[in-house]
Formats: sequence, structure tokens, C-alpha cells
Amino acid sequence: MKVKIDKDKCYMSGECYYNHPELFEMGEDGYPVVLVDDINDDAMRKHADEAIEVCPAVAISIET
Amino acid sequence: MSEAVQDLGPDIDPRIFDSEEFQKDPFPVYKALRDHHPIFHDRFHNRWIISRYWDVDGAFQDSDSFDRAMYKPDGPYDFGSRHIFGPNILEYGNSDEHRRLRNITAGQFIGQKLQDFIPMIHQISDEVIDQFIDDGEVELVKQFASQVPIRVISNMLGFPREDEDTFVEWYQLLIAGLGFGGEHLERGLQARNDMWDYIDPMITERTKNPGEDLLSRLCVAELAGSRMSREEVKGFVALLLAAGGDTTEKAIANMWYHLLYTRPDQLQDVVDNADLWENVFTEMMRYDPVVHAQFRYTTREIPIHNDVIPERAGVILYLGAGNRDERAFNDPDTFDIHRDDLHMGRENRSGRYKDKKNGHLGFGIGQHFCMGYSMARQESAIACSKLAARIKKPKVKFGEHPGISSPSIDSGGFRSPDELWMEFGQ
Repeated sequence: MKVKIDKDKCYMSGECYYNHPELFEMGEDGYPVVLVDDINDDAMRKHADEAIEVCPAVAISIET
Repeated sequence: MSEAVQDLGPDIDPRIFDSEEFQKDPFPVYKALRDHHPIFHDRFHNRWIISRYWDVDGAFQDSDSFDRAMYKPDGPYDFGSRHIFGPNILEYGNSDEHRRLRNITAGQFIGQKLQDFIPMIHQISDEVIDQFIDDGEVELVKQFASQVPIRVISNMLGFPREDEDTFVEWYQLLIAGLGFGGEHLERGLQARNDMWDYIDPMITERTKNPGEDLLSRLCVAELAGSRMSREEVKGFVALLLAAGGDTTEKAIANMWYHLLYTRPDQLQDVVDNADLWENVFTEMMRYDPVVHAQFRYTTREIPIHNDVIPERAGVILYLGAGNRDERAFNDPDTFDIHRDDLHMGRENRSGRYKDKKNGHLGFGIGQHFCMGYSMARQESAIACSKLAARIKKPKVKFGEHPGISSPSIDSGGFRSPDELWMEFGQ
């Protein structure tokens, strides 16, 4: 599973990278960068699900 | 050689930071710091000072290195149980506990949950304005700015309206205690305890039968199955008075101050176009924000500008100075609500924007970014536009004003005018 960021929707609120630094970091341009290529354990999946929930721009999704 | 000597710039006597002159007009000192001492070791107060825009931004972003709370040798954090707000989010540096409390509460002040309260903010604003609209003049601090936010909070929490004036009284006592200490603090703590006794049975009741009010939401909000404890709810409500009430009160007063005294030529623009109140808010938060200083403790050695801040050192981040940095904004000492080099819309916790403009630092950035940012902006704009819509030809009552000041910039004291008189027609 991969975590995708929709850059058109994202407005750089930062909620994903401040809440889940295990999975995201701020890129040079302010958009999030996904740090884990392939999500295959439950802990990381939980971070991804929470990030999707707190993203105010609804810009994060999981692609299977 | 002479150039190198010049680079050292004028000495800064650290006693200036305690002077009344600095509380009133810190900006010349800020400029000397930025230009000549971008990292200033203040040996008199045993702390380091950071003042340039991108250095303040960098320290806010790197909360692993610049922690909000002092950590102890044998445990994570050093804060007493005697703190005035009880257990609360501000005291938990970079811990999981901070993240938990923040995520439970932050969602209540943005998006749809905030929108639910907007009609009530309109109503409260009108009620407050009704009290003085027939007078043809108003003292904006006491009669307007200090009335709206606290009455809004009381109604958000779902307190009965007949208790609203009591709640305002507790608020004033608590805020006076924070500002002046001594016997004021004693009365402030008593008011806080009275308020805690008042909400204690409410917490029990609303946990059982939650409504749509903020207190209910705080009682039952969950994050991964975890709720706030009773003490945490009480601490959060007390904190809300200072962090949500007093700050917004000062913001509203400062917005009017700058339109009446700093840029009277732009007052009519705002009267003609109510959308511009958000620009007034944003430019106020850049030009002279309510809070100018944030304190951090280093968790490691920080090399910066050919110097090194040691581990466990106290660091002041002068966001009020960063906001006036020529390296970030053109003509930074001019208040201009039409400024095109400042991000004017809603703030981001990241401090990064799609329009590529720099944002003001007034809410902080990163892990401890103000979580009331959206509410403060909307509430200030609504209250101010409501008032502007009901008056004609607003103007100052007195040509001279002593200006705005802070009880103590370095202790995080809020900047605002003591009094602000305005005359108007109808």
C-alpha cells in the first residue's frame, strides 16, 4: 500500500508531518513528503489512517 | 579591519529588556539585534536571543532541538503542579501527551465545528454593540473588545446565559491575577477555583448526556480511545480564558488602534469593504502582534551564525522582531492592510503557503502553533465588521494616544492599548 498526497487539494496545513513524523516530513516547498514507500505493517497503517483523518484538506489517500 | 569592527555593531545593554521604553517601543532594539547580533547571548538574564525571520521560523520548526518545556535530568519535563491553569496542553513540551491533548482539542476550533458557533458570535457582537450604540462614542477596550470574546466562550461552553456575567467576572479576576501577581493573583486563583467548582457537576452531567456545546465535546472527545480526564478538562477551560479570551480581546483592540492612529487613511477602506477586516487582522499580527516572544530550551548544542548555543540553554524567539525583518518583508515598519508580500489568508501551522508569500509569525509555527488561529481570525473579523456596519464616520476622540505597550514582552505579556476612545455617527 502506498500513501498518496493530492497536491492540488493540499494547502500545507502541516497536520500530517507534525502529527506523524514517522511517515511524513515537510519538503523544501512546504508540501509533505511521504517517507515510507510501502506500508505493510499495522503500526504504519495506523499512522496513515490517523493522518487521513486529521488532514483538513482531505488530500491524503491510500492506494492499494 | 574597520569593517570587521563595524560588523560587531552597537552594543546592547541587556537591562534595556526590562525598561519601560522597551515594553512600549521594542522595534529599534529588535533592529539592532537582527542587524548586528542575530544570535545574542544575554548574560544578564542568562539566555540567548533569536530575532531574524528565518531563524525564528527555523527554531519553531525544529521543536526537537528547541523544546517548549524544560526537561529534567531524570525525567522528561520540569513543571510544577501549582501552575495556575492546572494540567494543560501548554506545559507538555514535545511529548506524546502534548500531541494527545492537542489532537483531542484542536479539532473543536476549526472547520465545521467552528462554523456551528459562528451565528452565535454574530449575535453576541450585536448584543455588546447595543449597549453603547446610542452614545455616539465608545471606549473600545472596556466596552467592546473585552466583552465579545469572553461572552462567546461562555456560550460556546454552553453555560446558562444568566451565569454569563459571573463568568465574565471570573475571567477578569483571573486575567488581572496573571498580569499583576500578588493579591491580584490570590483573587485570580480563587476565581479559578470558583469556576472549577461551578463546572465540576457539569462535567459529570455532560459526560453522561453530551450536547453540542464545547464543554460536552471536550468531555467526550476521543483520540484512539483516550479521553481527557476531569482535571484536564478543567485545566483546558481555565486556559481557554487566557489563551482564547484575553488574546482575542487584545487582537480586536489592536486592530482598531492601528486603523485609528497608525493608518487612519486606511480606515475608510475597511468601512467600505468588510472583507478587508481579515487583512487588518493579518497585518496587525505581523506589524505588532499580541505576543512578541516565545521561550524555548535547547536539547542539544545549536551552531548558529558563527556561534554555538549550549544544550539546556534558555532561548527567546522574538517573533515580533522576525515580523519586522527586511529580509522577509519590504518596508517592514509600514502598517499596510493592502500589503502584497504577506500571506493574507488563513494561517498554516507549517508557515508555508501556496501563494509563496511569507506569513506572519504571530501564532508561532509548528508543534506549538496556536490552535485557536482560525477562531481568533474569524471572531475578530466578525466582531469588527459588525461594529463598522453600525456606525458612520468613526474617528478618534483624542488626537494623542500614549500608544500600546506590554506588561513584559519577555514574559509573553500581551501588547495592547489601555484605553481606546472612538467617536462615531449613526
